[in-house]
Amino acid sequence: MTERAQILPGTLDLLILKALSLGPLYGYGILLRIEQISQGALLIEQGALYPALFRLVHQGLLKGRWGTSENNRRTKFYGLTSAGRKRLRQEEEGWNRLAMAIASALKARPEEA
Amino acid sequence: MKVLIRFRSFASALVHRSRLKNEIDEELQAHIQDRASDLERSGLSRAEAGRRARLEFGGYQKFKEECREARGTRFIESLLQDIRYALRMLRKAPGFAAVAILTLALGIGANTAIFSLIDGVMLRALPVKDPQRLVLFNWKANNAPKYHGYSHYGDCEGSSDGKTGCSFSVPVLNAFRAQTSTFAGLTAFLGPTQFNVSGSGPAAVAYGEIVSGDFFSALGVRTILGRPLGPADDTPGAAPAIVLSYNYWQSEFGGELSAVGKAVRINNVAAEIVGVASPRFTSLAPGKMEDFFVPIAAMGSLAEQEWFGARQIATDPYSWWVVIMGRLKPGAKIGQAQAETTVIFRNEVLHGASPMSAAADDPRITLESAAEGLTGFRGRISSLLWVMMVAVGAILFIACANVAGLTLARSSARQKEMAVRLALGAGRARIVRQLLTESLMLSIAGGALGVLLAIWGVHAITALLTGGSSQSFGYVVAPDGRVLAFTVAVTVLTGLAFGLAPALRGTRVNLTPALKENPSSLPGGATCAGRRLRLGSALVIVQVALSILVLAGAGLLVRTLRNLHDVNPGFDTHHVLLFGLNPTQAGYKEEQTAQLYRSLQAQFAGLPGVISASYSSDVPLSNSWTITSPHLDGTPPNQSVQTETRWIGPEFFSTMRIPMLAGRAFTAGDFASAMATDAAETAAEQAWERAEVASPNGNAAARPAVGAALAHAAPVPIIINEAFAKKYFPNENPIGKHIGDYQADDYTLGALEPGSVVIGVCGNMKYRDLRREIEPAMFEPFTGGGAHFELRTAGDPAALVAAVRSVVTHADSNLPLFSVRTQTEQIDDILVHEGMMAQLSSFFAVLALVLASVGLYGLLSYEVSRRTREIGIRRAVGAQQGDVLRMVVRQGIVLALIGAAAGIGAAIAVTRYLNSFLYGVHADDPLTMIVAAVLLMLVALAACYIPARRAMKIDPMAALRFE
Repeated sequence: MTERAQILPGTLDLLILKALSLGPLYGYGILLRIEQISQGALLIEQGALYPALFRLVHQGLLKGRWGTSENNRRTKFYGLTSAGRKRLRQEEEGWNRLAMAIASALKARPEEA
Repeated sequence: MKVLIRFRSFASALVHRSRLKNEIDEELQAHIQDRASDLERSGLSRAEAGRRARLEFGGYQKFKEECREARGTRFIESLLQDIRYALRMLRKAPGFAAVAILTLALGIGANTAIFSLIDGVMLRALPVKDPQRLVLFNWKANNAPKYHGYSHYGDCEGSSDGKTGCSFSVPVLNAFRAQTSTFAGLTAFLGPTQFNVSGSGPAAVAYGEIVSGDFFSALGVRTILGRPLGPADDTPGAAPAIVLSYNYWQSEFGGELSAVGKAVRINNVAAEIVGVASPRFTSLAPGKMEDFFVPIAAMGSLAEQEWFGARQIATDPYSWWVVIMGRLKPGAKIGQAQAETTVIFRNEVLHGASPMSAAADDPRITLESAAEGLTGFRGRISSLLWVMMVAVGAILFIACANVAGLTLARSSARQKEMAVRLALGAGRARIVRQLLTESLMLSIAGGALGVLLAIWGVHAITALLTGGSSQSFGYVVAPDGRVLAFTVAVTVLTGLAFGLAPALRGTRVNLTPALKENPSSLPGGATCAGRRLRLGSALVIVQVALSILVLAGAGLLVRTLRNLHDVNPGFDTHHVLLFGLNPTQAGYKEEQTAQLYRSLQAQFAGLPGVISASYSSDVPLSNSWTITSPHLDGTPPNQSVQTETRWIGPEFFSTMRIPMLAGRAFTAGDFASAMATDAAETAAEQAWERAEVASPNGNAAARPAVGAALAHAAPVPIIINEAFAKKYFPNENPIGKHIGDYQADDYTLGALEPGSVVIGVCGNMKYRDLRREIEPAMFEPFTGGGAHFELRTAGDPAALVAAVRSVVTHADSNLPLFSVRTQTEQIDDILVHEGMMAQLSSFFAVLALVLASVGLYGLLSYEVSRRTREIGIRRAVGAQQGDVLRMVVRQGIVLALIGAAAGIGAAIAVTRYLNSFLYGVHADDPLTMIVAAVLLMLVALAACYIPARRAMKIDPMAALRFE
């Protein structure tokens, strides 16, 4: 098993939006896709996914529809709204800027400081 | 767009709150099962897979809760949270909560009670179909019309100068009926009046409303049993039929279905009960109660002597006695109807055989909506209810100020809590909301308790109002939508009123010093507390001022009651038993009545414990009276004087202990002479009517016949009071003076009647009521009709009731005794409104005083605890205990003084509206104001003393170490 990282607060929303940008999914499916796209490197407390989903729906970024999962269970499927797609682009840019800034800061050698 | 989505999500979340919970469960469970299936596929046992899935999922309840919050039911959720929190806080301060809830309950309860009464007495719609299309007829003229007889039962507010009223003659009613094009229906009624009813148990007195045949159909009143009265019942010669009111049917017939069809005897005449009116139909004019309805035509047989005596009032245009109400046709305007009926009315009163009014006096009709016009008895009670409403409004204000003060003081204790919450990132608005939730919960609890108090209060007040009298309260006082809305509005406004200021003030916290151990020792905290204190002081001043206002009002009303009780009515009111008899209604003729009274009077006087007995036409001090307008000999023929007139039996003056100032009291001979004259006058009137019917020029033709009938009639001997003698016979000996019955130019030939002659002068007495100044009055020998007996007793008059009843039953078992009471009870009865106002306002004044002193006490207690350290320092640097005591008391007394001064100013401005209720005391009576202020200062001193003592006991060392 590879080493897993705890996700940063506030990044779960971004991961959900990213996962759904590839098409609508139900809750457990979203979890699996995040594992898949992060190559299993991120550790998500499974239950925490749902408050985030509800919050995103309430913000109008996602919409939910009842359907049937591959395991033949009735559950809710989520998809991005146009507002959600727009938010994803903004968040991606913001994240990349932040990541680059942090990365360059960390690359600095002691003598450069 | 976003807002819309959020709102939709919130709205649907609200609507589907419970469904949503299940959906969340379903979704989360689906996740756990999916995970478990995957784990099972990877080789775990089923049970182990389930366990691992749940474990990996994490805190199920916590996430579920978070989902719900995220979904947007947060407002409701946090409201519930606020409520839970508020309950917890209030549980932690049970003393504060109890005082606040009780205070608010008293304020809201008192307001709800008085408003329920106002609602029941004044705002309720008439209990008929389409009441807004019903109008009441009033007449107006610049000079009083010349009718011969006018009677009314207080349905509307007529003027005392006779220039307006709502009683009409039957011919005018018929003219309206025949000629109107704007009314769909007209109906006439009068009463209720007293009848002797027998046939269902022992003979008793009941009250019947006398109505025209179309009364039920025009008003749209239904019967729940049998049939309503119809036009056929209201024709001369129809068999007397009555419809019972629902309450009378319940109380006297036990709600039995067999009551309909039963025959009863009314005034000793057989009548059939044909129906029972709907329970919704309580009464038309507010406060009047009727037991049954009887057609006008039936009065011919039921009360021939009383009503139809010699004069046929059902056809006489000079007798005005029925109230008229009409239902406007759809589309007809009230102004149009008024113009039309005025034309008809003018024609009737200006162009009759002898005109009753002149064109110059502009006789006219005004139409009023029935609900407004039919004032009934509410006029007297409504003004006093408004006064009480002002008093309870003041109480509510005091209660609000009081609870606001308490909340404010408490908010200082919670300052650190607020600071912590603000520091942890709670929004100020959120905290204000939390505090308002607490306030509203207090006011809702207070309101709920207040409603219970109000129910009890309405009972207590109606009991006060119906006090001694046997009549029940003639208004429907029951909570309805209006009362409910009022209470809810008062409750919510109260909660906001006392909660908002402290909440805003309490959250204005300077974080840094507030979080430190001792806020008051630092400048920031002190300013804050200072601001809070200023608001607190203002609240106390308002409370004191308002309670002075209520106290002063109560003082004036209590003194009024005492002054009225102290009035000397001119006769001995102690040890007198009163009761009524009406043998005419049991079928007695005049001569038989006279015999019966003579025999009863002798038997009563012979009862052990009775000193003497007499009877009269009216009960002394019962607000009933007759005014006549006799003509004094030697004055111009078209002039008359006004005098109260009463008919009395033998021994009246000695029984009532009224002194004879000149001349003599009535003898047996005077009664015989008066009876003979009475009989001659009746004969003369009949002769006149016969002549009038026979000849178109009746008046002249009747003259000889009337003259012959009256030829041998002697003037009636009368006794006048001192006021009459002084006013109409100044500087003359009144004994032997002759007085004419009517003006010398009277068109009814009354001028031919023998008149009366003065045989004695008696001392002044207050007969009608206690307030009215003594006016000229005359007494005539009693000749017939119903009477009220007066028994002067040696001991307790009430002990004689049984003996009196047995004497009457022995004489005639068909003769009911009514209005049995002592003279003292009778006086309490006419002072019932004054008594109620004095009692209620005293109660409210005590309440106001207690609340204001609690407010003062609360403020000072808070002050003392806030300044514990300062007081400690003062003591340490040499202040004596007495200095500390004086310092605290001074602060309280200064506030009380400012409040009292403001209160007296307000009282002087406001109490003059009480003028019409007062007697023997001026509205800005200085004594009352001073007593109110002194009383308040004493209570304030007591309220200051307790916290001051606590301050005095502060041990300087302990206080300094404590900090």
